[in-house]
Amino acid sequence: MTTPEARTAFELNALIDGELTPDAAGEVEAWLASDQAARGLAGELRDLNRKLQDTFPLRTDEPLSPQLAALLERVPEPRTSTMVSRRTALAASLALLLLSGLAGLYVGSRFQPEQRRALALVAQAVGAHSVYVPEVRHPVEVAAAEERHLVAWLSKRLGEQIRAPDLVPLGFKLVGGRLLPDGPRPAALFMYETSRGQRLTLYVRRETSLANTAFQFSDTKGLQTFYWIDRPLAYAIVSNVGRAELTRVARSVYDQLEKR
Amino acid sequence: MRRRDAIAAEIPRLRRYARALTGDESEAEDLVQDCLERAISRIAQWRDDESPRKWLLAILHNLHVDGVRRRARRPLHVDLDKAEHVAAAPGSDSGSGRDLEAALRSLPGEQLQVVLLVGLEGLSYAEAADVAGVPVGTVMSRLSRGRDRLRQLLGDGGDRQGGRTSPLRRIK
Repeated sequence: MTTPEARTAFELNALIDGELTPDAAGEVEAWLASDQAARGLAGELRDLNRKLQDTFPLRTDEPLSPQLAALLERVPEPRTSTMVSRRTALAASLALLLLSGLAGLYVGSRFQPEQRRALALVAQAVGAHSVYVPEVRHPVEVAAAEERHLVAWLSKRLGEQIRAPDLVPLGFKLVGGRLLPDGPRPAALFMYETSRGQRLTLYVRRETSLANTAFQFSDTKGLQTFYWIDRPLAYAIVSNVGRAELTRVARSVYDQLEKR
Repeated sequence: MRRRDAIAAEIPRLRRYARALTGDESEAEDLVQDCLERAISRIAQWRDDESPRKWLLAILHNLHVDGVRRRARRPLHVDLDKAEHVAAAPGSDSGSGRDLEAALRSLPGEQLQVVLLVGLEGLSYAEAADVAGVPVGTVMSRLSRGRDRLRQLLGDGGDRQGGRTSPLRRIK
């Protein structure tokens, strides 16, 4: 059983470790504001972490001992066929798609259940895009002004830490986002737009049963989609900005999310 | 990225974690070597598309725990120079680091692990739970107990008032 004392200790620790949702953090902060002893404790806990980091700094420029260098030489690399990292595999698949001009998805009876589920992902993402992008007054539920809240909320609902990638360098500003149903489960939608009002959406949902994939491209009714699965999450980017533009976006999104 | 490079990139972290675990430079270096040795022998456990960090931290910790157990069965050996260092000068400037090191040594291994994974390595509770192979709730209680003990030890050794470091139950 968790006693009230343990609960307060958990809350203080979780606060200084950044493990609380914004709402919960707000509550604990409010409690700290009114309780000097608790404030003192939170301060001590923070001091403790600082002391740990000061006492054991990360020394990145320290040379390797000959023993360590020799050990590293012995790390076996996978055989060439599988040695390609996922990042390279993605880049390669992207290049292949671009070169071959092989737009669109295979259609027909060849679908395995896995492919059908991946297609369902595209259908959901394209559906959400089509419904919300034309909206003038209510394109999003939570606007970009409250980005931190938006991301924390959606992360909490999805049960995974997600992020709204920064696409400003590519000319797309975050409009905001919303929670969506994906069958009985939650999914997240982020919307971006250019200064000329061209919009794109990033659809994110949990995906733990399908295997990781490289970038896949799909073009349906004038909407282009790049999607990929990087468990535990699946992503789909939808827009009508054209394939070349969307490729740049997909690459940037992937790079940013990979660094999480 | 080649596996080799991915593992090499983690070495500074492994060294830091090993130093904090052992409190001894050369012991830490040995531990990192043992860790790589074992990682190579179990390379298939590492999923290529993930950072090897958590996997390596877990290996290193398990090796440390095994080593402590092995040494516990041998006659106690105390390095007097070191023992004096640890005991010396709680009030002095460099003392806080030494106090901290001594306090860390007195923590049960499972508490020390999460205190370091979260407080030093910056892992989330979920990641720390992954490394330790326990539920998140267990991480939270170990963390809370470990930090409580550290605060008490550091409080007693330093010049703080005893009252400031009394346990959490004083609140509310």
